[in-house]
Amino acid sequence: MAAPTERSGSLVESKTGFDPRIIAFHGVVILLLGVLASGLAYQQLFKGAIHHEEERQQNERRVIVPGPRGNIFDRNGRLLVGNRPRFAVVLYLDELRGEFREEFIRVRNNYRRTSEGDMPTNAQLERIAHTSVVKRYMDQVNEFLGRSGTVDASGLQRHLERQLLLPYTLVDDLKPEEFARLIEHLPVNSPLQVYTSNTRFYPYAGAAAHTLGYVGVNEGADDEEFPGEGLTTLKMKGSIGRDGLEKQFDSTLQGEAGYTILRVDPSGYKVNPPIEHRLPVQGGSITTSLDIDLQQAAEEAIGEQTGAAVALDVHTGEVLLMASLPGYDLNTFSPKLSKAAAADIEERKAWTNSAINGVYAPGSTFKLVVSMAALINGAVHPNDTPADCEGYMMVRNRRFGCDNGLGHHGLLTLPEAISESCDIYFWTVGLKTGVDAIAAEARRFHLDKPTGIELPGETHRMLIPDPDWKQAKRSESWTPGDTANMSIGQGYIGETPLTMACFAASLARGETWTMPTLIHQANRPGQHTEPIGLSDSQRAAILKGMEGCTTEGTAKYLTTIEDLRVPGVRIAGKTGTAQIIRPQGKVDEAWFICFAPLENPEIAIAVAVDGPPGENFGGGREAAPIASAILKKYFAKKHAQVAAN
Amino acid sequence: MLGLAIAVWLVAPIALKTLARASFFEMTAPVVAASSYVNDLQKFWALRLHSKDELIEAGRDMARINSKYSLSVQQNGELQAEVERLQSLLKMPAIEGYRYEHARVAQRDFSAWWQRMVIRKGADYAIPVGAPVVYSGGVVGRVAEVHAYTSIVQLTTDPGLRIAAVVDGDTRPISYQGGDNQVFGAPKGLIEFVPLDVYASGSVPKRLATSGLGGVYPPGLTIGRIVHVESSADGLFKTGEVELDPRLSELTEVTVLVKEDSL
Repeated sequence: MAAPTERSGSLVESKTGFDPRIIAFHGVVILLLGVLASGLAYQQLFKGAIHHEEERQQNERRVIVPGPRGNIFDRNGRLLVGNRPRFAVVLYLDELRGEFREEFIRVRNNYRRTSEGDMPTNAQLERIAHTSVVKRYMDQVNEFLGRSGTVDASGLQRHLERQLLLPYTLVDDLKPEEFARLIEHLPVNSPLQVYTSNTRFYPYAGAAAHTLGYVGVNEGADDEEFPGEGLTTLKMKGSIGRDGLEKQFDSTLQGEAGYTILRVDPSGYKVNPPIEHRLPVQGGSITTSLDIDLQQAAEEAIGEQTGAAVALDVHTGEVLLMASLPGYDLNTFSPKLSKAAAADIEERKAWTNSAINGVYAPGSTFKLVVSMAALINGAVHPNDTPADCEGYMMVRNRRFGCDNGLGHHGLLTLPEAISESCDIYFWTVGLKTGVDAIAAEARRFHLDKPTGIELPGETHRMLIPDPDWKQAKRSESWTPGDTANMSIGQGYIGETPLTMACFAASLARGETWTMPTLIHQANRPGQHTEPIGLSDSQRAAILKGMEGCTTEGTAKYLTTIEDLRVPGVRIAGKTGTAQIIRPQGKVDEAWFICFAPLENPEIAIAVAVDGPPGENFGGGREAAPIASAILKKYFAKKHAQVAAN
Repeated sequence: MLGLAIAVWLVAPIALKTLARASFFEMTAPVVAASSYVNDLQKFWALRLHSKDELIEAGRDMARINSKYSLSVQQNGELQAEVERLQSLLKMPAIEGYRYEHARVAQRDFSAWWQRMVIRKGADYAIPVGAPVVYSGGVVGRVAEVHAYTSIVQLTTDPGLRIAAVVDGDTRPISYQGGDNQVFGAPKGLIEFVPLDVYASGSVPKRLATSGLGGVYPPGLTIGRIVHVESSADGLFKTGEVELDPRLSELTEVTVLVKEDSL
């Protein structure tokens, strides 16, 4: 064998010394490495925080759970609005990843073995596997509970795609025995668990429905309040006050939401115990001034009629009851108002809280304002007999008939005129007093303004008209007929049952303004506003007339009918009947305002009831019995309390 | 080698693991049972050493207790007859019947991981999984596993056990669950979903009993005494603590309630 030559034996090219090309190549490599190192350093040192945040946003999810709302109590601590637990059996889908995968493989293999046609896509196989696994759990629940629930495949898929970390409800609103069965049969660490949520609960159903209000669905708490800014957030629906006290005090009642921050894998499945967790906290409670016994008594007395009643504590202005009928059962709103129930409320025209939104001419109850205006302005003295009632009166060729009593009252003093509600007397006195003085007196009692009660939507349409108003709004001059109408509480004048209750409470204290409130304070100080400014004899004349009204006048039924009598209590009252135009025709609005006991007033009431179209309706016959029911309940409770003490 | 064994165990099929576990338990069961028999024998001979006087005194006490129990049995018989009469009068469904299977405790295992005991009766006495286990003081637990001659009972102290319970004098079901029990600590449990108007404290405890609504335990069996309740943060319910009978850790005899229809 020939020995290889020196050249042929060296297969590797060798080079000695410095080759400029190699040096240049090394330089390029070093430069490129430097660029890479710089890039790495830039990414690590300068953009590290951004990457960390991006990683966190990809890997973490935030779940926000609303807190239960606070309770609403009546003045005696009885629960008016609370929360009812709702038990549901739920499946934590994020714990089923392994089962989904195994089922996917099983389903795919089945198709491969048996299917001769097209194979479903992977996405379709996944959906089949998901539904199949969840159906197995559903069957388990059905077996425990003896139910026949099914799985909504499309709903399940939506839940998996959008709300994987939230529990998937299989059966909602479990009965207590179903809850008990599941507690004993479900293993503690099963992905199938009993889940509790809450919904509003109204122990007194429809009592004070308009005042208490209702809640609607809230899409979720404001996520800016929680840690984990920028994370994908799943919110469970809460509730928000939509009307009444629920709306007015929503910020107090609203619970404090809780949150959980979870780490998830790229498919969105939970991988570890929560990183952060805070339980939701119940919202604050409020104690209303309402007395549920009085409220129920009023609503029962109004019955099937359309009307409203308000009762106030004379000294503090606390609203003891606020009834408006027709109403609705608040439990139909919980957890959600059905369309049928909403349509029923609409059809019965039951949405409106007539106590604060129903504006009616106050009728003869306004004669008390006219009386005070006349007394203060010297237009009449208590024992004067300025008019001889013959049943009608002519004002500028217009015939005004006296609708009250027998139609011929003769000569009356002020107390007698109030008691008998003689229109002729008050037309005469009203014309003598003048519209400006009457309007000024009414405004002194704040009858031209909303009361400012803590309820949303109190009307601003209450009205004390005068010549300027008529000119501005109707471009017409004020006539003596307008003054005559106003003197008996008719015409343009408009009041709500609440403003009239405040008027009655003010009159009872001998003052001009009562600020009503729906919040109860145990030792709330009495209200003291501007005194009316009547002399003792003037005040006594008005009170005598009001008492006479309930003993022998237009509300004498409170004395003559045994069932309506309030034993041992002297009542100062005034009836009223106003004619108003409704869509269904002309109706009588029956009014009654009162306070009691006369010698030391405690409670003031205003009642307004709509009569059926075309029928004669009167304050003494229709409204006063409602006030009687309220007073009987009030004093019965008071006497029981005294006896107990 | 150990690492290899662990790796093999980890990748082994579930069926194989289950079989291995069951076989292991069946193989060791005679040892547990034998140990229990030896223990009984040891106690027997220890008792043989007592004097005749002591035996006479014990016999007299036993006779008194027996006469008391005889009276109770008579009263129970009368009450049972009355219950049946009322049931037939009101056309109410009869209370489910149970067969009482008394069993000797062979082993107790009160670790921090689980709280269970082994009893000396199993499939040979047709003990079913899930059957309630009771003693004179109330609920002991429920049968978790049944083997040929032994069964494992999951105790009420085990955090993995839940019972639908009721507070004495109330009908609303609440959830009882075993607590975080330490090895030598007093046995305790937890209650959840307690209505807000339920009150109890250490000085005024309330009896917690089975509700009978869950379908596993008959109603009215004592679980323990509620010694503490507090409102949960969400204000919907209260949670609380239940003190269990310390005798649970010393039981030598228990009774398995086997539903008549499961025979």
